[in-house]
Amino acid sequence: MRNNGLLTKKFDKLLIANRGEIAMRILRAAHELGLDTVAVYSDADRYAPHVRYAKEAYHIGPSPARESYLVIDKLLDVAKKSGAEAIHPGYGFLAERAEFAQACVDAGIVFVGPSADAIRTMGDKQRARETVMAANVPVVPGVAPGTDEELVAAGNEIGFPLLVKATAGGGGKGMRPVYAATELPDAIAAARREAQAAFGDGTVYLEKMIVEGRHIEIQLMADSHGNTIYLGERECSLQRRHQKLIEESPSFVVDEDLRRRMGAVAVAAAQAVNYVNAGTIEFLVDKDKHFYFLEMNTRLQVEHPVTELVTGVDIVQEMLRVARGRKLRITQEEVKMKGWAIECRINAEDPYNNYMPSTGTITTSRLPTGPGVRVDTGVFPGYEVTPYYDSMISKLICFGETRGEAALRMRRALAEYRIMGVKTNIPFHQHMMDSHRFLTGQFDTKFVEERFSMSDREVMDELEAAILATLAAHQRGQQASQIVAPGMRDTSNWKYLGRWERLRR
Amino acid sequence: MKYITMVNNQEYVIEIDHDDTIVVNGERYAIDFHSLPDGGVVSLLLNNRSYEAVVDERDETWEVLVRGELYSVTVQDERAYRLAKARGVETAVHGDVIIKSPMPGIIIAAPAAEGDVVQKGDKIIILESMKMENELRAPRDGVVARVQVKPGDSVEKDQVLAVIAEPQESDE
Repeated sequence: MRNNGLLTKKFDKLLIANRGEIAMRILRAAHELGLDTVAVYSDADRYAPHVRYAKEAYHIGPSPARESYLVIDKLLDVAKKSGAEAIHPGYGFLAERAEFAQACVDAGIVFVGPSADAIRTMGDKQRARETVMAANVPVVPGVAPGTDEELVAAGNEIGFPLLVKATAGGGGKGMRPVYAATELPDAIAAARREAQAAFGDGTVYLEKMIVEGRHIEIQLMADSHGNTIYLGERECSLQRRHQKLIEESPSFVVDEDLRRRMGAVAVAAAQAVNYVNAGTIEFLVDKDKHFYFLEMNTRLQVEHPVTELVTGVDIVQEMLRVARGRKLRITQEEVKMKGWAIECRINAEDPYNNYMPSTGTITTSRLPTGPGVRVDTGVFPGYEVTPYYDSMISKLICFGETRGEAALRMRRALAEYRIMGVKTNIPFHQHMMDSHRFLTGQFDTKFVEERFSMSDREVMDELEAAILATLAAHQRGQQASQIVAPGMRDTSNWKYLGRWERLRR
Repeated sequence: MKYITMVNNQEYVIEIDHDDTIVVNGERYAIDFHSLPDGGVVSLLLNNRSYEAVVDERDETWEVLVRGELYSVTVQDERAYRLAKARGVETAVHGDVIIKSPMPGIIIAAPAAEGDVVQKGDKIIILESMKMENELRAPRDGVVARVQVKPGDSVEKDQVLAVIAEPQESDE
């Protein structure tokens, strides 16, 4: 079936055009549905779990994404070679590139996502704004793109603070907050530069900044038979430089009535572009609970698991069913939210050093487990965190009957998690789970940057760390002194050393 | 055997003479310490309080992960400690602070110029890597002695980007 550049049909073999934890997530859903799976990998990812887990795997080029995961022809080539009839793009990479969705359809391959038209419209922030405004969706007051001089003049008119945003932007790239008129020209230049580098398009516009705003988004699911439903909200206000760090569902500030109103508006926005498959409408909610459309993400979101845990809907399985032309399995009335879920993004970065990314080889990765704990990850001992891909190591998601129970469980799980070889932001999450402001739900999108500091974190186990290191060093020294005393052992010292080193791993 | 152990600029004197007790800064603790054959995992019972940790030696420091926090610990036995002291290694804290690239990337901007007086936390270099702009800030107050890169340069991991010298004494 083809309409609006959308192709849905039954398929039995799926290619996953992604890597890392999201490739694993999609592979799992596909295997649960009995589909055959095809992975692709760059030079850096030969040992990656998604390669080992898929039924088939194909090499697609060097480590930099622009020479592998971003090359449309290579992916279509693998689809042809392997006989894959559908492609799931995951998030990032090609997930929101309309030309990729179109190229799939042109090649007779199902793109697990919306039509190229919908991606194109929602991907251009200015067109998205105009489209949803026509559907009576509230938007943040702003100014259309123009020359630097026009923007500076218009900026002075709408007033400060405001945001400079890239029309092709996403994930905070090409976005700059401006608090005073004097900063505006520099901010426009920086945003243009970043957007040009990241998206090949330096077009920017201005938007009024909502102070004390919360970032709350609505998960949507639509089939190709005209049904569109919302799966509740996600609270994503805990961000740093517009990168989400902690997400939860439901939100502390959304009651039944607000949820219904936001859901209805989100559905209307999606229907304005004949949206099919999973999508997310991001809203800014001010302190008086007015909400404004920010943008639509026309793909699976990183933080989808919190919605899965509270609604019981397997979003990735549902995406695959919808792409096969099936109807949604549930109606709006059947969507019930139960309990609370919190997700912490575990990144390879140092919270004590300005969140500087940390590269290196992961030597230990022991995941937390037990009741109510889910970890989505794509790393393993021996995995190298490289500058080629983003710094996310895993997503730790905890469920509880109440928000308090979920937070306490998250504390427990964070303390259980053992990652060595790179620095991680686990202490940041621990500090957040201990913070009064988090536990009482009093935060907005500026909280992490402006009112949260690692410097007031108490050092807990310094003495114990000193003792542990000293005992380990002492034990090492004892082993070494045994090695230098020859004739004391019935085997060669080299053999003994080799055996000892292997035991240590 | 006596060790001098440093963590977060705190010094601990730790004596290990028996298998089942240690003395830390004069205080005796019962210990039971074992290395597990699993990725550097160790188990310590310290006065029967149980600690599981991961320890890993790299570049002469011990990295210890306990309850989510990573500690960098240096351990010297008494002899090495005295030798180091005698050689003056302890006091040879160099006046210059070198800012190195923590990872490969591209220089976006170098806001500090040679000769600038900077304070701890000031932006020195902006490096794009891992799809993000990363700000490398001054680790302490000082004067920018050298900036060895310019915007657009590609840099390798550990490449020296800038040097910050001791702050100049002001005329009283």
